Amino acid sequence: MQSFTYIRPSTPAEAIAAMAGGGPGTRFLAGGTTLYDLMKLGVEGPLRVIDITRLDALARFDTSGPHELVFGALARMSDVAADRRLKEDYPALSEAMWKAASQQLRNMARVGGNLLQRTRCAYFRGGAPFACNKREPGSGCAARDGMDRGNALLGASDACAAVYPGDWAVALVAFDAVVDTLSPRGERSIPLAELHREPGSTPEVETTLAPDELIVRIRVPRSGAGRGSTYHKIRDRESYAFALTSAAVAVRLSAGVVAEARVALGGVATRPWRSPEAENVLLGQPLTEDVAQSAGQAAFAAASPGVHNAFKVELGAQTITDALMIARQRAEQP
Amino acid sequence: MQDKTSRPSPLRGAQSKQETAGEPNTGGGLLAAHLLTRRQFTAGSIAVASGLSALGSACTGCDTPARSADTSVRLHVNGTRAEVDIDLRSSLLDVLREQLQLTGAKKGCDHGQCGACTVHLDGRRVASCLTPAVQADGREITTIEGLSPEGGPLHPMQQAFIDQDALQCGYCTPGQIMAAVACVREGNAGSAEQIREYMSGNLCRCGAYAGILAAIQQAAPEIGGT
Amino acid sequence: MATSPPASASAVGSSVPRADGPPKVTGASRYVDDLPAMPGEIFGRTVRSPVPRGILRGVRFDPAFDWSDVTVVLAEDVPVNVVALILDDQPILGTGKVNHAYEPIVLLGCADRLKLSRALQAVTLDIDPLPPVLDMRAALEGEEILWGTDNVIKRYLITKGCADAERERSEAAIDAALARCEVVVTGTYASHHQEQLYIEPQGVIAWWDEAGAHATGSIQCPFYVQKAFLKAFGLPADRIHITQSVTGGGFGGKEEYPSIIALHAALLARKSGRPVRMIYDRTEDIEATTKRHPASCEITSGCDRDGTLRALKIRVLMDGGAYATLSQVVLSRGALHASGAYRWDDVWIEATAVATNTPPNGAFRGFGAPQTIWAIERHLDRVAGELGCDPLDLKAKNVLRPGDSTATGQVLRESVAGEECIAKAIAASGYRQKRAAGPVVRGRVARGIGLSVFMHGAGFTGSGERYYKGKIAVDLAPGGRLRIRTASTDIGQGTETVFRQIAADAAGLPLDRVEFEVPCTTTVPDSGPTVASRTVMVVGSILEAAARELASRVREEQEAARQPRAAQEGQASSAAPPALSFEEAADRLLAREGKVTSLKQYEPPSYVRWDDEAYKGDAYPCFGWACDVAEVEVDLDTFEVTVVDFWSAADVGKAIHPVMCKGQIEGGSLQAIGWALSEEIVWQGGKIRNPRMTNYIIPTSLDAPPFHVVLVEAPFPFGPGGGAKGIGEMPMDGGAPAVAAAVEHATGIAARALPLTPERLFEAARGAEAPRTAAGRGERARRYRSSSTVRRARSICRRSRGCSMRSGGRSGSRARRRGARRASAARARC
Repeated sequence: MQSFTYIRPSTPAEAIAAMAGGGPGTRFLAGGTTLYDLMKLGVEGPLRVIDITRLDALARFDTSGPHELVFGALARMSDVAADRRLKEDYPALSEAMWKAASQQLRNMARVGGNLLQRTRCAYFRGGAPFACNKREPGSGCAARDGMDRGNALLGASDACAAVYPGDWAVALVAFDAVVDTLSPRGERSIPLAELHREPGSTPEVETTLAPDELIVRIRVPRSGAGRGSTYHKIRDRESYAFALTSAAVAVRLSAGVVAEARVALGGVATRPWRSPEAENVLLGQPLTEDVAQSAGQAAFAAASPGVHNAFKVELGAQTITDALMIARQRAEQP
Repeated sequence: MQDKTSRPSPLRGAQSKQETAGEPNTGGGLLAAHLLTRRQFTAGSIAVASGLSALGSACTGCDTPARSADTSVRLHVNGTRAEVDIDLRSSLLDVLREQLQLTGAKKGCDHGQCGACTVHLDGRRVASCLTPAVQADGREITTIEGLSPEGGPLHPMQQAFIDQDALQCGYCTPGQIMAAVACVREGNAGSAEQIREYMSGNLCRCGAYAGILAAIQQAAPEIGGT
Repeated sequence: MATSPPASASAVGSSVPRADGPPKVTGASRYVDDLPAMPGEIFGRTVRSPVPRGILRGVRFDPAFDWSDVTVVLAEDVPVNVVALILDDQPILGTGKVNHAYEPIVLLGCADRLKLSRALQAVTLDIDPLPPVLDMRAALEGEEILWGTDNVIKRYLITKGCADAERERSEAAIDAALARCEVVVTGTYASHHQEQLYIEPQGVIAWWDEAGAHATGSIQCPFYVQKAFLKAFGLPADRIHITQSVTGGGFGGKEEYPSIIALHAALLARKSGRPVRMIYDRTEDIEATTKRHPASCEITSGCDRDGTLRALKIRVLMDGGAYATLSQVVLSRGALHASGAYRWDDVWIEATAVATNTPPNGAFRGFGAPQTIWAIERHLDRVAGELGCDPLDLKAKNVLRPGDSTATGQVLRESVAGEECIAKAIAASGYRQKRAAGPVVRGRVARGIGLSVFMHGAGFTGSGERYYKGKIAVDLAPGGRLRIRTASTDIGQGTETVFRQIAADAAGLPLDRVEFEVPCTTTVPDSGPTVASRTVMVVGSILEAAARELASRVREEQEAARQPRAAQEGQASSAAPPALSFEEAADRLLAREGKVTSLKQYEPPSYVRWDDEAYKGDAYPCFGWACDVAEVEVDLDTFEVTVVDFWSAADVGKAIHPVMCKGQIEGGSLQAIGWALSEEIVWQGGKIRNPRMTNYIIPTSLDAPPFHVVLVEAPFPFGPGGGAKGIGEMPMDGGAPAVAAAVEHATGIAARALPLTPERLFEAARGAEAPRTAAGRGERARRYRSSSTVRRARSICRRSRGCSMRSGGRSGSRARRRGARRASAARARC
């Protein structure tokens, strides 16, 4: 692991000042479950680390507001997962939390940093002798003609097909969440849907954040579809595993038909993947299994499967279908 | 803003300074290695002469493994305060194991994927292998060694693991027990299903999961929290 | 199932608290990497080949790197560059030819661990790559020769009945016998690599001093390491001190591989003059160390229309990897278990292990048997389908009974419990009712049940025990205590506890009077390796004899002390003479003789006869028997398989410690479930793409079903404690075929290859093989989109056997865990 210097600010302003003075190679460190992990693997090698875990002002979250839910970027995943109001009002958000990682890691990881977790692509993490454009731009992509079970079917480019591995961002993108950031240039808000980039020809650039920009909070506008939601996650084992396919869905029913539909996919795309195609199938229709199935298929209409991940076209469509059936049941509950 | 790197941090060697008595029960510093007896790795078995106690002349007088120290942290480990000079890159697990000789927490994967390194940080269970030691500065740390007093009665969870034969090789056991205590305190031990979900971050290859579940169910009422 | 305090009368048969419990629950146990650093200690690392095959032209060291405090060991530094095991074909460090990825080439040692990792990057191996042979069929075809003259590491032929008549023409004879059968079924069954994934990675600390070479570490078989040192360093045995530290699981993975780590550490230690700590990290451990042999079994069987099994022809092919390691023994056990637990008139089994340019495969719990039992059990399920009967009836009808003979002609006499195990497993699981009711489909989840029947040979194969002559010593210690000295290691399976129970009972002493010495090759006798389910049955039996003998010597001393005194005092008064206590007598004996030890050497039962040439006779002194029943839920939408209940009725002869015995069965069964459902090594160009615990998927607490273990006790007359048999490996044998049978019951999908991942079930549902290569990519992708697997699966389910479809709330653990996913009534499918 490369040596680094370490700074521990106690306010967001101090953190931003430290970053401004840090220059290239300076990184914010929160729970460490991604950054420190990748430093151990030699994938990341920051020269300066700014430890933001003691910015207590960013650790609070409030799920009771009348207009939006507000999550300080440093709220712990475990605390958010355990929030009773969230479980009732937005089960998809709660499930996306407790179905991720293990309780140990959820105690460490923070909801802001979690958005930025990096791909689990074995070629990216493993390094030489396999090429990876994300790890070393321009070196090629060994995954494309290699073992592609973990590759993305949606949003991939010739340069990279690495899957975005997270759960929480998938649920958030379904609910039109917004991320507030702080940088030396001041505050700004970014729709979550615009936070992550598709790889294109620069897979090493994963987000639209500037290098010196800090996520300070996540806001989720209240939705009538919150209670009729679920985060459905299919894995290789029952727990403590990344998604093979996942679906965050939310529906509001009115007069027997879908009045509001939100569908997002995980485990199959290069970024948290909202599917307007699936939502359009649902809107105005009664939420029958057949309609749900059509929605699932619509979400994968543009999928480009490889060899080992081709089964995810059907698996992913079924995941959406099943998630919609769960969501319907919840939406119908008085 | 506190810039740790700007603080003078004279290198004091790898040894920790124990501020109070009550050294953890594994005992023994780096330089005590030549006194190592088999008792130390087979507590529970008898100690016999041979092997490890004999050291070649070629070895004596050599330096201890080099370890760069670039900052100093105050760790509150098992009720004891220790100021430790650390390499900023060190994980909490490595500092506990190599500098404080608290080897109860284990390194099964070093990447937060197995749970064997679980300790409590400010009362929460964490993967110590993915926790930079510097982040534990000023925090309360409890390891398996601090769960019950040395020579005193076992913690109810430790006793339950024995009663329910909730282990075989024992390598994952300290992590399982630390996770289990936290699981109960968090209120996540309400049902068998909930325990299995909230213990799924601790892998046991011997397959003692049934015993572990039974042990948690046995100990939970004594610990409280659920 | 709690442990209980030792019964005063008898320790054997009671579940006493395990001896290693307290230090393990307090963190006091010292595994190898927990041992404090020795003065001057350095760390050791290994530079490995990045390619699977090639010619090593040279090793370059970056001149810009400061090598002054780095110890470098190359092949030329190795006195005798061979890892002594069976065929001595594996070099300690690669030189000349490179035969597999991760092959060790250079060793580096340095006190600074971070510098050591940089040093690793500063070494360049100049290797001219050669085309690798990565597939065992290609190796068998022999276009490229990488091992011996034909890539064949070993081949066995087992014949019985008509195939015996003329060994040269045996294949024609079995073909003729098959042609005469009323029902002939053919199939091929594949199984895959499995990583042991003990949670403690491998590691050894080695150093040299005036007493010779020392190595201590995570080791199943200290005398294997001693043997390797004898050869490599040319040292006499008394100058080699191999000590087992507390060991965090092995499952076979620490049987032979630790020799290599110990040799490497000792080479670095010799050159540097310092103690060397060599601990593998998880990725290195997964990549470089041995795994279960992949196998393919081609089976043709013939039977009568009533299900009486007649003729069996099997070709077993195993992938040994680049070097022979233990492959010939693994292959032998695989071949000897290939005919299953059944009676056959005519048998022909040809088993071949070939070399490929993949890391050598080696010991893993079950040792070849799980691969062939997977095949024969799946095959018989298929035969039952052909006959239109339940697999249970076919298996129960043909299971070996007393008086029957096995494929090697071994006539079974005593301790034969296949029928009893079947009966008990069936009764406990409600198998018949559940099968008769058909798969239960609630919502989109189908529930099914399946079984496997199997036996597992306990102890070494054939004449192994006769050759090995395993030994054990029991010393008398002060205070009337016994001290067991054995090379049988406790790696978590409970050897120490169980041995103390056996010795205590044999000596008539309380449990706490028996001690267990740390296994070290210069202080304990060679009991043989801790493998082959032989520890309790074989070594335990001589332990029992030794403890009994020692105690009787003390009792003789008591007797001798009493008689003269009694005679004397009897004349003087009528008062009862105070006898010497056992402790006093023991101390008196010890004081007089200095050292009081009973050393016993194992002799197999005299009836055991084995012909190694013909591969005939008593392959094992006895067999353990078992019947596993798995009940699964299969999500018909996603093909996730959940094992919801698991029963195992297992004949263990005699359970010395029932709780730990059940623990072995649960643990082995869970490893089998992992092998069946999720564990898979992903290869690319001879390298492993998933060498981590996040992508090599072993079961978590949520994946472990409730286990219901029924212990059956059909005593083996020569086993200790009243008839104990080996139990370590057997539980690995039956889980995979039972799970696959249950999946077939639930879905109609008959898997013939492992593991049963969602994509394989998707594929199987449409009757295609799972994609294994990059070929045909576009075509496959189109097929995926064009058909609906799910509807297909449901229709399979509908078609097959009067399947009962129930509406109503979904049951089962997955349903509970995930919450109600569907409105139930609307979801009845068929």
